[in-house]
Amino acid sequence: MNYIENVYICLAAPFLVAVFCARKRSRRVLLFMLGGMTACLLSSYLSTFAASVEGIDLSAASLEIAPLVEEIMKLLPILFYLLVFEPEKESVVVGVFMTAVGFATFENVCYLAQNGAQGVFHLLIRGFGAGAMHVVCGAIIGTGLIYIWKEKWLRVAGTVGLLALAITFHGIYNILISQTGVPAAVGFLLPVLTAVAVVILYNPVNRLIEREQE
Amino acid sequence: MTESVENLIQLVLTGLCAALSFGKAIASWKRPWLLLGLFYSVFFFGDLYWQLFITFYGDTPQYSFIPYLSWYAADLFLFMLLTVVYSYDWKRYAKYLWPVPVFTAGMCVFYMTYGDYLSNIIAAALMYALIWRSIGGIISLRKKTGEDAAALAIHILVLLFCFTEYAAWTSSCFFDGDTFANPYYWFDAMQTAVLVLFVPALRKAVSR
Repeated sequence: MNYIENVYICLAAPFLVAVFCARKRSRRVLLFMLGGMTACLLSSYLSTFAASVEGIDLSAASLEIAPLVEEIMKLLPILFYLLVFEPEKESVVVGVFMTAVGFATFENVCYLAQNGAQGVFHLLIRGFGAGAMHVVCGAIIGTGLIYIWKEKWLRVAGTVGLLALAITFHGIYNILISQTGVPAAVGFLLPVLTAVAVVILYNPVNRLIEREQE
Repeated sequence: MTESVENLIQLVLTGLCAALSFGKAIASWKRPWLLLGLFYSVFFFGDLYWQLFITFYGDTPQYSFIPYLSWYAADLFLFMLLTVVYSYDWKRYAKYLWPVPVFTAGMCVFYMTYGDYLSNIIAAALMYALIWRSIGGIISLRKKTGEDAAALAIHILVLLFCFTEYAAWTSSCFFDGDTFANPYYWFDAMQTAVLVLFVPALRKAVSR
């Protein structure tokens, strides 16, 4: 039995306390991380609910339902922030990454609570793999949401398209890590290598976008 | 076996075309290349998810939300590409295009007798938008010469892409079996060829 809400309370409590003590930018960062953790908790509930309604086991749900639910839930705190506060681009970028980090952190802690903390090498790979995957998916959606399209309808359509890309990337990652041996290793390496590629391509792509917007 | 071979060929080609398109986007700073790269990427990821599922679990996914969502997104990016490559007043051609919604709605109702409602409605809406935009573009561009005429090829290819989609879907309603005698694989192979041709067509269209 994995008491996911108990884990959530333990993790979220210090963040909540810190939110009241922190100011402006730091507070925003903490709130986004908390939003990411909450999105992860709710995703777990929704995926479990959908699996029980459809009558499929949890491992099948993790391949076919969870990526869809998790990526949509991860997007909600950012959408709320965008629609309600109309913020600057820079703070949206921070929000996208912090939500992804909060989500990945909570997911990793739940994994530890369920599977134990033995095997540092495996946990190292899993920690980086899951972390990179959530950050890469967040970066895919976030880039489309704030940078690529000026026109409103293109932004909406493009964000839906990029959300689908992130969901499928997440689904492929889940299929690979559900295996053993080489496929699992490829699965863990895939987001890490993509994150490296994102870091390398960030500047040229950013220049492309800025030039487009001029 | 035939499906896997066909998927692998399509995977390799769409993966290469995605890399090429993103390379062109970075080198030329042009948005159409970015959109084409995104189109190939989502198509590639949809195929990859489907193929990995078949490889590891010996069957197609029970719930195909994820790959279908990916392929719908590919249609969406293709539509966005058409609007960015060539803009025209679509209302001018509305009187010629009334068979498009009739055809897509009719096919949607037909496919609903085989599959679920929601995915067929989404597919029909996307196909309607693509066919409408591409035929309207072809009518608008047919008498033009010089620079604008370069965009004609991409509109014809999008129409061919829609044709291969409908042909493959329809043949899968009537034919079964994992051999190349199944017409589904002919149309899927034709679609792969059409997919590859988007790169030279866009090169011509954006060089103007």
